[in-house]
Amino acid sequence: MQPGDENLVALARNGDHKAFEELVERHKQKAYRIAFDFARDREEAKDLSQEAFLRAYTHLGNFDGRSGFYTWFYRILVNVCLDYKRRKKRTFAEEFNEAVESQVEPSYVSQKPPSPDQQVLAGQLSRKVGAALESLPPKQRTAFILRNNQGLSIKEIAEMMQTAEGTVKVHLHRAVTALRQSLAEFA
Amino acid sequence: MQHDKSAGVACTQWEEDLVLHYYGELRGSERAAVEDHMRGCQPCRFYLKELESILPLTVKPDEPPQAFWDDYSREMRRKLTEMKERKSWWQSLASFAQPWAIPVSATAFVAILALTLTLGKGFWRSKEVPQDDEVFMEILPAAENLEFFKTMEVLDAMDFLEDMGSPVKGSA
Repeated sequence: MQPGDENLVALARNGDHKAFEELVERHKQKAYRIAFDFARDREEAKDLSQEAFLRAYTHLGNFDGRSGFYTWFYRILVNVCLDYKRRKKRTFAEEFNEAVESQVEPSYVSQKPPSPDQQVLAGQLSRKVGAALESLPPKQRTAFILRNNQGLSIKEIAEMMQTAEGTVKVHLHRAVTALRQSLAEFA
Repeated sequence: MQHDKSAGVACTQWEEDLVLHYYGELRGSERAAVEDHMRGCQPCRFYLKELESILPLTVKPDEPPQAFWDDYSREMRRKLTEMKERKSWWQSLASFAQPWAIPVSATAFVAILALTLTLGKGFWRSKEVPQDDEVFMEILPAAENLEFFKTMEVLDAMDFLEDMGSPVKGSA
């Protein structure tokens, strides 16, 4: 029987480094996907999620067990992603252009090459979505990404954001309204 | 019901519930109330359809290959090892900072400060005491003034003698 996250945390706090590596293995894919939703770039998502693991490792002493490791760690991860967005000076348009130039747009490197028209439309859409998400206030963006992209429940998001469920619903509603207005042409 | 006649604009008071309905966050009576409302409200039905077509577009799928995950784990282990090494270096440094070391250091500091002030006080005071030459230079003008007054006293005495030796005015 596999030990629970909390047991692994206890072991890691007592100096068992393998226990923390096991936690990384368990949560790396989910962590990467959340980071990818914020960064929309593979390498950046990898760096951000790894940075979150390192911060969690450094601050394991602060984990009091009141929430699950999952909630505690994803709170760190979301903060790392939001900090990164704040630090970042470049616009999404620049990021997108770079990604296209270096051909690291994973969603469009599919088995069947898209037609030029599809590529243009996909490019427009991706640019527009990126800009629309970028323009959302951090709390709205977080609530939206965690619900829309990660499928977390309102309750889980509220716990992660350390706020009331009603507040999360308001953030989500406002985010959806803003995105709907920005992306109406693609409906 | 208050809503705009244009398509895609839902009733204001139902909008948030429609968003929650889209995400499957409504249960029981709340869900039934929204569905009941939508049956009679075309703009709200249209709004929900619009959400169904727009919101999935915001998700950018990404499925990295296995090689990516292997690399991820390898890189993570390396970063953790580096961090552990840094941590152990700091820990060895911090081991000097035992609980008893803080009051001992503070006492030593106070003692050194007290000694410095005590010994330093004499040093600074000796600097403040004027040198012999300086004392002489200060006394000299005073002595000169004294000499002047002495001269004046002699002159007064001479005038007095002259007055005594001369015939009384008006006696001739």
